[in-house]
Amino acid sequence: MISFALKTLRHRKAGFAGAFVALLCAAALVTACGMLLETGLRGGVTPERYAGAPVIVAGDQYVRQAKESGKQKAKLLSERRWIPASLVERIKGIPGVTKVVTEVSFPYAGFTAHGWESAALTPFTLAAGRAPKAADEVVVDARHADQKIPGYQVVGVTREALPSQDTIFFSTGEARRLAGHGGFVTAIGVWPRVDVTVQGALVYTGDERGAVEFPEAESSRVKLVSLGGALGGTSLLVAILVVVGTFALSMQQRRREIAMLRAVGAMPRQVRKLIGGEALLISVVAGLLGSGAGILLGLWLRTRFVALGAMPANLRLVVSPFPAIVAVVTTLVAAWVAARVSARRTARIRPVEALGETAMTVSRLPRVRLVAGLLALAGGVVLTVVLSSLSTEAASSPVTMLTALVWTTAVALLGPAIARAATALPLRAPGVGGYLARKSLRAGTERLASVIVPLTLMTAMTCTILFVQTTMGHAAQSEVNAGVRADHVLAPGASAAAVRTVPGVRAVTEVLRTSVRIDLEKYEVQAVTPDGLDRTMDLGVVAGSLNGFGDTSAAISRTAAERLDAGLGDRVDLVLGDGTPATVRIAAIYARGLGFGDLTLSRGLVAGHVDDPRGTVLVSGGEREALRRLPGVTVLDQAGAAQAGTANAEVTYVAMGLIIAFCAIAVVNTLAMSTLARSRELALLRVVGTTRRQVARMLRTETLTAIALAVAIGTAISLVTLAGFSRGMTGSVLPYAPPLTYLAVVAAVAGLALAATAIPARLALRPRPADALGARE
Amino acid sequence: MTEAVRLDAVSKVYGGGQSAVAALREVSVGIPRGTFTAVMGPSGSGKSTFLHCAAGLDVPSSGSVRLGGADLTGMDENALTELRRRRVGFVFQAFNLVPGLTVTENITLPLKLAGARVDRAWLDEVVHRVGLGRRTDHRPAQLSGGQQQRVALARALVTRPEVVFGDEPTGALDTMTARDVLTLLREAVSALGQTVVMVTHDPVAASYADTVLFLADGRIVDAMTGPTAEKVAERMTRLGAWKR
Repeated sequence: MISFALKTLRHRKAGFAGAFVALLCAAALVTACGMLLETGLRGGVTPERYAGAPVIVAGDQYVRQAKESGKQKAKLLSERRWIPASLVERIKGIPGVTKVVTEVSFPYAGFTAHGWESAALTPFTLAAGRAPKAADEVVVDARHADQKIPGYQVVGVTREALPSQDTIFFSTGEARRLAGHGGFVTAIGVWPRVDVTVQGALVYTGDERGAVEFPEAESSRVKLVSLGGALGGTSLLVAILVVVGTFALSMQQRRREIAMLRAVGAMPRQVRKLIGGEALLISVVAGLLGSGAGILLGLWLRTRFVALGAMPANLRLVVSPFPAIVAVVTTLVAAWVAARVSARRTARIRPVEALGETAMTVSRLPRVRLVAGLLALAGGVVLTVVLSSLSTEAASSPVTMLTALVWTTAVALLGPAIARAATALPLRAPGVGGYLARKSLRAGTERLASVIVPLTLMTAMTCTILFVQTTMGHAAQSEVNAGVRADHVLAPGASAAAVRTVPGVRAVTEVLRTSVRIDLEKYEVQAVTPDGLDRTMDLGVVAGSLNGFGDTSAAISRTAAERLDAGLGDRVDLVLGDGTPATVRIAAIYARGLGFGDLTLSRGLVAGHVDDPRGTVLVSGGEREALRRLPGVTVLDQAGAAQAGTANAEVTYVAMGLIIAFCAIAVVNTLAMSTLARSRELALLRVVGTTRRQVARMLRTETLTAIALAVAIGTAISLVTLAGFSRGMTGSVLPYAPPLTYLAVVAAVAGLALAATAIPARLALRPRPADALGARE
Repeated sequence: MTEAVRLDAVSKVYGGGQSAVAALREVSVGIPRGTFTAVMGPSGSGKSTFLHCAAGLDVPSSGSVRLGGADLTGMDENALTELRRRRVGFVFQAFNLVPGLTVTENITLPLKLAGARVDRAWLDEVVHRVGLGRRTDHRPAQLSGGQQQRVALARALVTRPEVVFGDEPTGALDTMTARDVLTLLREAVSALGQTVVMVTHDPVAASYADTVLFLADGRIVDAMTGPTAEKVAERMTRLGAWKR
């Protein structure tokens, strides 16, 4: 059967091109996602600053907890965990250790700053000048030899400069003062490479040192795992939908050939084998080529993510054969599933059909398909309900995509019934073209059904992907707009004390953004200076009060309170960004959690436990000009205050854009296949006197009908999905979709579909009609 | 003389209830082995249904069909497929061939589907008889309509079936080409002893047969042996008149 399949394939290249392209794209997407995922799992960063120290002792960057099941779970900390400087003495006592160097690390004016004692870790050596001794002396790296540092005197320049960071060295004492973690250090370098075990810290060697040096690379790895997984899963489901669709369409076009095979003695089983064989052959070729293309796609994604700041440039992309192997296997499975599904239909083709003059089409929806369609509908309802109860982005995002896909699957399964119902509507387009279109739509509901599936998919996925972001952004922004009472927002770096002296200033609030973990779950936190808070922001307190807010107090958003099942006065144990445990009492519950964070804590509690204690400054009263004259102050627009999720959105757009592109390819694919297969019919129309214009008009009207139907269904799917998402995340069932964006989506879908009909139609109409009629099927 | 095909009180009703249409009504007939039978009748007379039921492509609503000694009653689709594969050859009006396969591959397709060995000598004889000797490596698209029907005929003969069924096998051909194909069918009966049953509406085609069965309204209304084109045409005209 395989050799037979191969011969059929060779002959019917055009018919299989659609399925081939779909499988190829699927393989490419899966490979690219696999690369992201693998980089997330196994990617490493080469150490730069710690390159000279064979062993680095530093804090555990994870918070660990034993779950009830006894399984140890670990979550990445959002800030660096410091270790006591006293460990140095113990390490010195370990046999074999000859040299120990401590380091503090903190941000300073765009530099990564350290004390000069840690220069040996790299090692940094002086090219000119001398080491900093006094508190006001600094050494800068080779790239910044001419840089002025206000308030300090540059006394030396190093020979080296690190590729991914700008380095500045203070004197050891000044660095510790500026870093502000009294008695603690970020890392300890140990020479030579000996086995070191220290209570309260972890030992890092080789590339592990890079992970300590660049905590952002670690967090980006975690994100890559979830992004790669979600993207890969979504594209897999989309691929199966698309591939099943293209296979089914090509089977529809081969009914007669298959009926003939059945008549001359092919068992249904043999037909299924033939179709399965064809599918396997195409998928092997498409899988191999696609995974090759996928590696290029993965490299491109990496450059985009680096450009967007979602992935540090020094995080190595892992390029291994695994994603390609997975992609090829996945493509095989997808093709096999598609072949099984379409073979179910073809096995029902009765051999009698081969004898008739025209190919008959089955008009009744098979019972299995009807049941599957209804099950998918039920699945859509269940998922939408589930979605409406999910209030964290991590849980909500993948479920949102899944919900939209399950609804679309239902549409794909029930497509013929939907198409029949829609064409039964007493609508008519004017002219001969309109008349012909109406007739042929009614006669070919199965063809209409196979065309609306990719169009619906594209509309639903695009709207869902775009409007999930706008819904979140809009909700957060409106809460910020309603809740920020301050007249001015200053960028990080402004001195609150200086701002308070400006005439007319009534209240100043420093706002620090970080996150904490409660039972390993992550909660976004804003840490504020409580004094005069009611004049700079209104959190929309619904219970309790912010009066007397102190270092052991917390205010919590309504959604987070529900998630934690916590009420006023309850004590909450949390782990601060750097792994330090703390206990706070809930003093207030507020409504505006999207704009201001899940938790509000006191800045006094948090400031010592973050990498960068500078935050935005909210100012009530005072003149904008007077504020701007202060040193180190940048006055932001009010809008700048809402930073939640905007950088994230772009990454999502890039990643999910691939899914949209895949859907678009499926649209073009299906319409081109469906139009090209009608060459004979179009030629016949031409022979009996229909003009080219009338034929083109007929096709256009048919496609427009499909577009109208698909856009209506796709919009409905995304509205229902978004309503569920919005209900869970923002509390309101109304999603936010900018009308212009929506119109642009509709226009793009329509334009693509019309072009994908018009171009093949031109090709089909090019030969003289008589020749086209003579050509055999 | 034994019978290759035997139909006993075969009826076929399409649809159900109010909209039920009887395509065949209590048809009983035997087709003797080694004869050429043409089935004629106006449109809607049931001649296609007759062919489908006789060839095991369709299952009668009532009555029984025997094909070369095998009773088709109660056979499931797999058993019917197996039967078609071994005991029946088909020549359709058009679209007979798999476009991706060569002439030889098309001819041996039923054997391949059955997993049977190809008898080279017999294959060569069949190919030679239908006059395709030098075209065995061509693909269907490279052949004329008449040549394609010859390939279909060769495919029908290669399994040495009990009966070859033709459904308007010359319907899509011009007069000259049609005559060649009909002559080949005739030779298959005369020289090889093959049984052939052919549905046609063309009196000239029917005149190649030994016997012509006339169907009207789902019943066999007449049979004619030693037909000529004129006699068949005249009989058809009256059949048509009865329909009014």
